[in-house]
Formats: sequence, structure tokens, C-alpha cells
Amino acid sequence: MSDLNADADPDDVAPDTPDFDVEYDVSDTDADPDDDADVAFDLVRPYTESEIIMTTVRIVTPFVLTYGLYLTFHGANSPGGGFQGGALVGVVVLMLAFAFGIQPTREWVGSGLMSGLASGGVLVFVGVGLGTLALGGTFLEYGRYEPFVGPDATKWGMEAIEIGGVSAIVSGVIMGLFFLTAAGYEKAGGEEA
Amino acid sequence: MSAVGFALAAFVLVTAVATALLRDTLAVIIVFAAYSLGMALLYTLLLAPDVGITEAAIGAGVTTILLLVTITKTTRPGAEEIFAGVNWPAATVSAGLGAVLLAISGSIPAENFLGGTTPVTGAAGTPGAGVTGHYLAESYQQTGVQNSVTAVLASYRGFDTFGEAVVVFAAGVAVVLVLHRGDFL
Repeated sequence: MSDLNADADPDDVAPDTPDFDVEYDVSDTDADPDDDADVAFDLVRPYTESEIIMTTVRIVTPFVLTYGLYLTFHGANSPGGGFQGGALVGVVVLMLAFAFGIQPTREWVGSGLMSGLASGGVLVFVGVGLGTLALGGTFLEYGRYEPFVGPDATKWGMEAIEIGGVSAIVSGVIMGLFFLTAAGYEKAGGEEA
Repeated sequence: MSAVGFALAAFVLVTAVATALLRDTLAVIIVFAAYSLGMALLYTLLLAPDVGITEAAIGAGVTTILLLVTITKTTRPGAEEIFAGVNWPAATVSAGLGAVLLAISGSIPAENFLGGTTPVTGAAGTPGAGVTGHYLAESYQQTGVQNSVTAVLASYRGFDTFGEAVVVFAAGVAVVLVLHRGDFL
């Protein structure tokens, strides 16, 4: 992070490489910190390959993902819930991006998954709520589902909006915000800034 | 509150002041993450683990990463001094606002739907009375889930939670639009 001190105009950096892949090229292993050109290049490349970070993330990620899913699916009976669980599931992707490069992770996740999770979550939440309206109740009056799912309808309805709604929205938006911020502003002509 | 609680509160206070006073952006982000971690521990100590988990994941984790990514996109001014100068008029206004909020939160009774009144900060001293006691006593019978916080969020206040979830979604859409991108890249 000391490279951030480099006082360089971002527009002067690699003007011939509008392709985003080049800025995040993970094959660049030139680790010489005194190389001025490399320092200026790092200003637009917030990723540095580090054996320590990669090893740590490789070990920690399965536990974080498991804990996030536990919080999501067990949130009704213990501390946790869709918001916390969804945040941790999203953070797993952020950690992978920090360890293995933002651009490869972005391609691995895919934008369809992120926007699908976020908008799908809203649709599930609205669907469960409007379903009770259609059955003659009020918005999110889960008891109206009792003829279909049995006496625990309220519990299942809450699980549906926590797991299918809130956690999906939160995890999708957190991943999306990270990749959007990392990519930055795009001018009208499609030029990266 | 125990000695650990007071130590955590002091830690949170120190990191909060340091966040406001430090000049270097990277140092501010790191200290702010420490502040969030202290708040998360404090929430857990005050028996609010749901809020603690959220603070640790969002405040200490996601916010820190988003801010770090953001400063790689901007220039970081070189810092000669460690601390920024204090804007005394602004500091006075902030301290006054904090004192007023503290006084209000301790004195104004909040009406609840059972018709009684519960002091905002005195609810813990009156178990079984007021809206908190009602939820703790009835939520398992009425909703079938053991975590009262989830019961309140998803059932009693389900419409509010729907609004919050849509706000999160809208925030994501807003960033897509502001950054002139067609999608979450």
C-alpha cells in the first residue's frame, strides 16, 4: 500500500491499454519496489500477489463460507439471519478477489450471478408478500400459507424471506458494490477512468 | 457494565476520535476498522450478538475493503503531520449534539402498542413489561422461531424489513447508474 504515495496522474498510466485485463494482469511478478515505472503502474492496479494472503484466504475461506451459510439457514433459532449470513457469503468472494486478483474473480463469479441474486431476492420477498395478499390476507401474513405447507407456515414463510430474500439481496449487492468500485467510473465512450 | 465493557468503550472512544483526527487516509481506514471491531465486541457484551455479527461483517469487513479499493482509485495526499487540525466550532457543535441526544435518550418515554410507556434506555430494568417483554414472551408461540430478533425482523416488522432489503437493492442499482455501467461487472 506504500505505492499509493506515488504522485502520478492516473491518465498518464498505460495510455495504450484500455483493455481492463491488462491493468489487473496477475502474471506481472516484478516485485522490485524501486522501479518507478512499476510504482506508477500499481496506482491503477489494487492487487499484489502475496503468498501469505493467498495461503491465509485458502485456509480461512471454507470456514467463513460455512459460518455464513450456518448464520443464514440457522438464523431463526440462533443469533444470525439473512442479513449477517448474506454479508459473510459476499465477503468470501471479496477475500478471494483480494487474494487471487479482482479480474479473475470477477470473471469466475460472473455479473449474472450478482444481479440475479440481488433482483431474485427482491422478487422472492415480493412474491411471498403478494402471495399472502392473493390468499386474502395482509402483506406477509404467513398464516395464509397453512393449507399448503402445514401448521408451521409462519416459520417457513420467515425462512423463505430470510434465505431466499434478504441473504440473496445482501450477498449479491455486496459482491456487486466491490467489483463496481474496483472497476471505477466509465465515461460515455466506454473509456475506463 | 463490567471492567471489560468499560475498557471496550474506552477503546471505541479512542479509535473514534483518532478516526476524526488522523490525517492519513489509509491510517483512518485501518483505525475505523478497529473501531468497528470494538463496537462489535461491545454489542456482543451487551447481549446483542445479531447486531455484533453485522457490525463485524459490514463495519469492520466490507466497509474497510470498499474504502481500501476506493483509495486505490484516488490520489493519496502526502501527510507531513500525523494529526489534522481540529475545527473547534464544528467540534463544539458535535459535542453539543451528542450531549442533547444522550439527555433525550435517557429521559423521554417511548409509547408502545400495549398502551404503557417504556424509557428508551430503561427497558432492560423492567423485564416482562413493555414491548420487549411482549416479544420475548410471545414470539415463539406466535411465529415458531426461537430467535426473537428474527421473529421481530421477519414477522412483526416484516414490512419494514422488506423496505430495508429494497433499500440495499436500490443502493446497488444506484452505484451501477452513478458509475455509468450497465451491470455489476
